[in-house]
Amino acid sequence: MSRLRALMRKEFNQIRRDKRMAVSLIIPPTLQLLLFGFALDSTVSHLRLGVIDWSQTPESRELVSTLTESKSFQLGGAYASVQALEAAISRGKLDAGIVVPYQFAHDLRRGTPIDVQILLNAANANTATIAQGYAEGVILSYNQTLATEGIRPAIRAVGNAPPDRRGMVSTLTAFLYNPGLVNAWFIVTGTFGVLLILNGSLLAATAMVKERERGTVEQLLMTPASTTDIVIAKIAPLFVLLMVMATLAIGVMRLIFDVPIRGSVVLLALSAGLCILSGIGIGTVVATFTKSAQQAMMTAFFINPPLSVLSGSLTPVEAMPSWMQPITWLNPIRHFGIIARATLMKGSGIDVLWPNFLALIGFTVLLVSLSIWRFRKQLG
Amino acid sequence: MRRIFSQARKELTQLVRDRLALALALVLPLILLFLLSTAISLTVHNLPLVIQDLDDSSASRRFADAFRASISFHVVSWPPDRKPEDALTANRARGVVIIPRDFARDLARGQNTQVQLLVDATDSNTARIVQGYVNQIARAFNQASGAMAGAMLVGAQVRLWYNPGRDSPKFYSPGIFVMGISMFPALLAALSMAKEGEQKTILQVYVSSISAHEFLLGKILAYMVIAACEWVLAMISLLTIFGLHIAGDPTPLLIGSLLYAFCVASFGTFVGAGIPNQAAAIQTVALGGFLLVFLLSGLIFPVENIPAGLRWLSNIVWGRYYIEIVRDALLQGGGWPAMWFPVLMIAVLGALFYALAWRTMRRMQVNA
Repeated sequence: MSRLRALMRKEFNQIRRDKRMAVSLIIPPTLQLLLFGFALDSTVSHLRLGVIDWSQTPESRELVSTLTESKSFQLGGAYASVQALEAAISRGKLDAGIVVPYQFAHDLRRGTPIDVQILLNAANANTATIAQGYAEGVILSYNQTLATEGIRPAIRAVGNAPPDRRGMVSTLTAFLYNPGLVNAWFIVTGTFGVLLILNGSLLAATAMVKERERGTVEQLLMTPASTTDIVIAKIAPLFVLLMVMATLAIGVMRLIFDVPIRGSVVLLALSAGLCILSGIGIGTVVATFTKSAQQAMMTAFFINPPLSVLSGSLTPVEAMPSWMQPITWLNPIRHFGIIARATLMKGSGIDVLWPNFLALIGFTVLLVSLSIWRFRKQLG
Repeated sequence: MRRIFSQARKELTQLVRDRLALALALVLPLILLFLLSTAISLTVHNLPLVIQDLDDSSASRRFADAFRASISFHVVSWPPDRKPEDALTANRARGVVIIPRDFARDLARGQNTQVQLLVDATDSNTARIVQGYVNQIARAFNQASGAMAGAMLVGAQVRLWYNPGRDSPKFYSPGIFVMGISMFPALLAALSMAKEGEQKTILQVYVSSISAHEFLLGKILAYMVIAACEWVLAMISLLTIFGLHIAGDPTPLLIGSLLYAFCVASFGTFVGAGIPNQAAAIQTVALGGFLLVFLLSGLIFPVENIPAGLRWLSNIVWGRYYIEIVRDALLQGGGWPAMWFPVLMIAVLGALFYALAWRTMRRMQVNA
């Protein structure tokens, strides 16, 4: 035990002298969290709508202004021909277009159903899906206004429901846990787990490789300490540093992004600790396969993108192809993301999160013992 | 001129001998392209949904069946005696539809009725999509039951242009393609330049007869060749696997790509010259090539959504202009009238990086 303590003191001293490491551990992750939270926003609003109004009547202008007065669309200009509108959408000057036919008001007054055409630039599938929902919603409410008030008495007359009409179903939506639909909450809680794993692995890999680059591993081996002691003593200060970073990240989420903390902080901190240990395990294993810090970093380019993308932390797992979705369960970031979002926003407890927590424990045990085994084998 | 080519040849020979670097240059961009393009998408489907039917009539069951039949949702069972919100806190469902008692009676009497939809809004984008899907299903139900007759005077015919299937990979894969081209040639250029500084081989260059311009251009040319190889491999996969095709005039794409290869290679050389430490140079390029291009270029989320305080930054992110060019060439086909400005901006930024690299290199000479 005293051996372990002595080794730990050595490691802590080493880190304390390496100011750059401490700085590089605090500033970049905070910056990344801020950048991700502020820059990644999928909200669809103020789509530029080009208008072709061949009807040129109060009714058609009413319809167009209903669309452009909503937050989702804004007027992008009036066009005389479909060709001009098409060119504007293709040049990226407009995101959407509406074509109101010549007989629009005429048919409306006679009570004949009539279609308007809405064109959406669907290059971005997500924007198109949400914009389509918006546009249909606006048209629906325009119809309802026509039926109940009517902009003209003539329309009110036809808009009245026939006596044998069946009732309509409408939905009343309640957005739970995030009623303001703040996208940053999703992004920062996801980025949190990615930061823990990536920084943990990078830090551990450089720390382990450094010892080998300088040829000081032999000196460590000559001490009476066992390899397990050496690895634990190496891991401990990194773990402490990363826990400080995790606390800082929670602070940034709470204070800058106003993410609520509705559940147990202890559960979150425990999971963060497990996540960090998994990251350190990954880094140590990578370090045993590479010869220099530079190689370790290049290897990280092969490991990090799949880890962060197949985690559901920036994009929802349900949007991935169905064969890919089960793979995400092999990723500790996925489990941590679920725990972080559920404890922070939903206030869920261990009673529903235990499977994810157990999975994190499993990954940690597996990765840390794998790294000790690799380390021992390499020294032998 | 001859010296430029021999410098480039020397660089390429060096690179071919380093297998890890070669894999980084040619294999990794392709792996990333496949992996990220298939995984990154925001259009969710097959979401778990709980339906609580408090009416239990034939009409309400017909309404619930409409959800079972849709590909957007799959209905999961939830015991009726437990609170529906618990299905959301337990991560069992993304939404709950609650059909009120008297649902069938109200409909039969011609009265409008409201079903409640609870959405897990921890992911706000998915929450919006869930709301849109549920409204669409309710509208279809109304139309089928005849409730819309006379009430829907104005119909909307929505046409989706350029990507009618709303295929996400078609939108994201050009972006991932740009990310790969932005990162790896720059990374290798930075590494080789930093290595010259770290191992002091730069001194040999100073005493040789090669001029700074020739040396830099030779290096940049070598990494432009790497970028071109990457470009060809990735473009072939875009056109074959992701089913994209060149829309309209390909010349903006070709000229833009050539300038972009110069731009990223110059950026890498500049970073490598400025930071003569390989590990630090890798981090800087990763920050510039990956973070900036990933975050501030409209790769996943629209640039317009970035708060104004940060958005100006995206004007100097070189990847942003190239993404516009690639997306235009592969999806919209706007040609030169739409794309002259991005091409020009890439040329300007490329020249800027080259000038910076040259200046840093001269300063290095003074120090050495």
